Amino acid sequence: MSRYLGKKVAAALVSFLVTLVIGFVIFSLMPADPVRTLTRGRPTSEEQLAQIRVQLGLDEPVWYRFLTFAGDTLRGELGFSWQFQQSVSSLVAERLGPTLLLMGAAAVISIALGLWLGVHSGWRHGTLFDKVASGASLTLWSVPTFWLGMILLVLFSGWFPSGGMSDPSLAATGLEHVLDVARHLVLPALTMVLVVFAQYVTVMRASVIDELGSPYLLTARAKGLTDADVRRKHAVPNALLPSVTMIFMHLGTLVTGAITVEAVYSWPGLGYLTYEALKIPDLPLLQGTFIIFSASVILMNLLADLAYRFLDPRVRVQ
Amino acid sequence: MRRIGAVLCALTLAFAVPAAPAGAAAPPVRSTVLRAAMDGSGVDTLNPFLAFFNGALETFGMVYPSLNSLDPSGAPGPYLATKWEPSADRLTWTFTIREGLKWSDGKPITAEDAAWTLNLIMTDAVAGTANGSLVSNFEKVTAEGPATLVIKTKAPQASVPYVSHPMSGIPIVPKHVWEPLAKNLKDAKNDVFPLVGYGPWTLTEYKQEQYAKFTANKEFVLGPPKFDNLVLQSFKSGDAAVAALRSGQIDYKAGVNPTQFKALQADPKIAAVRTVGNGWMGLEINHNARTRSGKKIGTGHPALGDPALRKAIALATDKQTLVTKVIDGVGRLGHGYLPPAWPQWFWTPAQPTPYDPAQANRVLDEAGYTKGADGVRTDPKSGRPLAFRFGIHSDDAADAAISGYVVGWMKEIGIKLTIQSLSMTALNSDLAKGDWDLLMDAWTTGPDPTYLLGIQSCGTLPKDDGTGGNTDSFFCDAAFDELFKKQLTTFDQGERAKVIGEMQEILYAANVNQIYYYADGLDVARKDTVTGLTLGKPDADGVYPSQTAFWSYLNAAPATATTAAKAEGSGSGMTWVAGGIALVVVLGGVLVWRRRAGGADRE
Repeated sequence: MSRYLGKKVAAALVSFLVTLVIGFVIFSLMPADPVRTLTRGRPTSEEQLAQIRVQLGLDEPVWYRFLTFAGDTLRGELGFSWQFQQSVSSLVAERLGPTLLLMGAAAVISIALGLWLGVHSGWRHGTLFDKVASGASLTLWSVPTFWLGMILLVLFSGWFPSGGMSDPSLAATGLEHVLDVARHLVLPALTMVLVVFAQYVTVMRASVIDELGSPYLLTARAKGLTDADVRRKHAVPNALLPSVTMIFMHLGTLVTGAITVEAVYSWPGLGYLTYEALKIPDLPLLQGTFIIFSASVILMNLLADLAYRFLDPRVRVQ
Repeated sequence: MRRIGAVLCALTLAFAVPAAPAGAAAPPVRSTVLRAAMDGSGVDTLNPFLAFFNGALETFGMVYPSLNSLDPSGAPGPYLATKWEPSADRLTWTFTIREGLKWSDGKPITAEDAAWTLNLIMTDAVAGTANGSLVSNFEKVTAEGPATLVIKTKAPQASVPYVSHPMSGIPIVPKHVWEPLAKNLKDAKNDVFPLVGYGPWTLTEYKQEQYAKFTANKEFVLGPPKFDNLVLQSFKSGDAAVAALRSGQIDYKAGVNPTQFKALQADPKIAAVRTVGNGWMGLEINHNARTRSGKKIGTGHPALGDPALRKAIALATDKQTLVTKVIDGVGRLGHGYLPPAWPQWFWTPAQPTPYDPAQANRVLDEAGYTKGADGVRTDPKSGRPLAFRFGIHSDDAADAAISGYVVGWMKEIGIKLTIQSLSMTALNSDLAKGDWDLLMDAWTTGPDPTYLLGIQSCGTLPKDDGTGGNTDSFFCDAAFDELFKKQLTTFDQGERAKVIGEMQEILYAANVNQIYYYADGLDVARKDTVTGLTLGKPDADGVYPSQTAFWSYLNAAPATATTAAKAEGSGSGMTWVAGGIALVVVLGGVLVWRRRAGGADRE
């Protein structure tokens, strides 16, 4: 076990170091003049522009900037945002909560809904329920997120708030604040759920159908178990592995937020922060969010590898 | 799984419970709140020495004072200063500072605060990050007593009364608060609320990318705000802000697009107002990218250096179609370099270039550009076809719409354009290096046109090593530069306007910056909650003078008693939600119980 764990952790560390280098190189190669973009429209003299370049460290050679970036990252410092004039880690910390709330709520609902529909569609495949559930989920999966968000916004903006995370004109505290945030969460979370849940439906449905003809199900029925118990206690546990992989992959991307949904509903999350960083481009902020996103995916992949050992005895044997 | 299903049903039902109409979500206390959409750029930082984004400048204009205000026509008016006069040699300006005003913490506002703020920007590189260029001609600023501020300039400068004004000028900060922060200005986040300042409003709460909350300064010297509170909410999508306005979540939004404007005009609950545009949309031509010493740089097509070719491009452009089709008619045809929002500087040519593709073809024929079999003309000097790159902003819908028309019009006169859709930052990078042919460009300006005119002067060209420089189109003309210096030192506004008119005439004739249109400002507000946002009288077309948020928010008043009534009703809105969720929980429980019972029967 410890050897297996050691190998997986070492591989994860190597992946992380490679992403550090890639992150720096990609963003440094971007054809961009952040100082001109930052100051666009404001009266700025040539001397001012030169001074800002010095302040941002853009007068330093690339190799020096890379060493500074790598050293800071290994010390746990993510640099200083050029546009927001504050540390990247404080910016990320501010946005992490809203992102996890939106993405977490959407993930929980879409996983639960997707798996439930997938199990029942697969178990009763070919029925009207299966056709409606599969058709609807695949249709919604094909819809562009941005477009769906706009449509929901137009349809329901009188019922639910159309932007932000809370109503600033409402000095709400306690339960009232919780309910206020919940109301603001409805449309962005619904948009995410409608687009995401289909993948769980399709994977779970296919896995359940694969199990349908298995002899162990016949044995279970022969023992006198009800149809629901056969499905719940025998078919579903065996059909769950591919969905577990997908859930961990999904969890790994939770912190990345959803740029389009956050943009449509002005949700103050990490996804939109990254988009704002790209526009300048605010390299320290971009590199900082890139590190967080990469580390999250790598960590979740590592956890998925470890979870297999507990869920599937065949992995332990290997 | 049954439980999950039941929970999901409950959640779905919970989401389906309608909240009270969002318009009812006003504060629980009986105070009036003006709810507006924050400028789309947002707030980069609350440190007034470092901020560049319009959302931040708008905020500073409301919470920090300035030496002058601006009247609706854009002329300097009184604020901290009640009087300002140049000396006979035009090198010294004396501002008389109003006495008796106090910062929000009770300390007096004096000339010393203004002198300290301006001196810090002049002497400290970090403090000059955002506004250094505005004081670059200042030699010395002193406070001669609490009510007298003296500014000495290195050379005569007509625009001194424009240096410190709300929104786009320098905000004056309280010395006693900022002096301890000055040593490490870069790290000053200025996030202790309420912010110590002075203005029509006091900033009491701010959440980045979410909202800013203000309370009214009912003793504000230029007249108290009529609302008790102001909330600026951040919207990253214009459509979301419009939806919020329609449903009553906000009262006002400045700057919607023409499509949204037309739709809102049909809504009887919404007042949709056109204001004179403070910017232009146009085309820039890389006619001759060179450094200050005249060394050629970049990869611009050499034929674009020919005035005849640029004239033909202007003749072949149907600006009226762009106004009609791209901005739905809500704007004016473009000619001069400065927008009509500031009528004192607005200039129109005596003989505007007409839309005449036949004439454009004749001009090109006469200049020796012959058409090939593919319909594309060839430059007789370089032998290269007239095939140009056409850079547009990838995130700008107007650029995309305009480029479609322009490509077609240019094809008619034998010019082939290849659209390059690039991010703003990539376009800026190419522009600085001279690696472009044609670019879509847009600029807005405040009432002092010095900066916008300055980026067309030779002094802003890059150095030979490619560094430095702040040019917008590599324009460089000795006569223009002479007039630029002259307007800086012409103190009589009428005379200055004449000089600036001559400068615009030179630019117009050069056809390097071809101004397509000046889009109107399009503001929308709810009639049932707010009135008084729009100042001035409309012209014959129903277009109002250009507005600034400073005056709009100051003059806005609750439309009726509805705002207070909504404040009372807000509690019941939340009760509805709570009641709905309670109902759902009960229903969910019943559902689970029934399903369990049914399952047992089946088993």
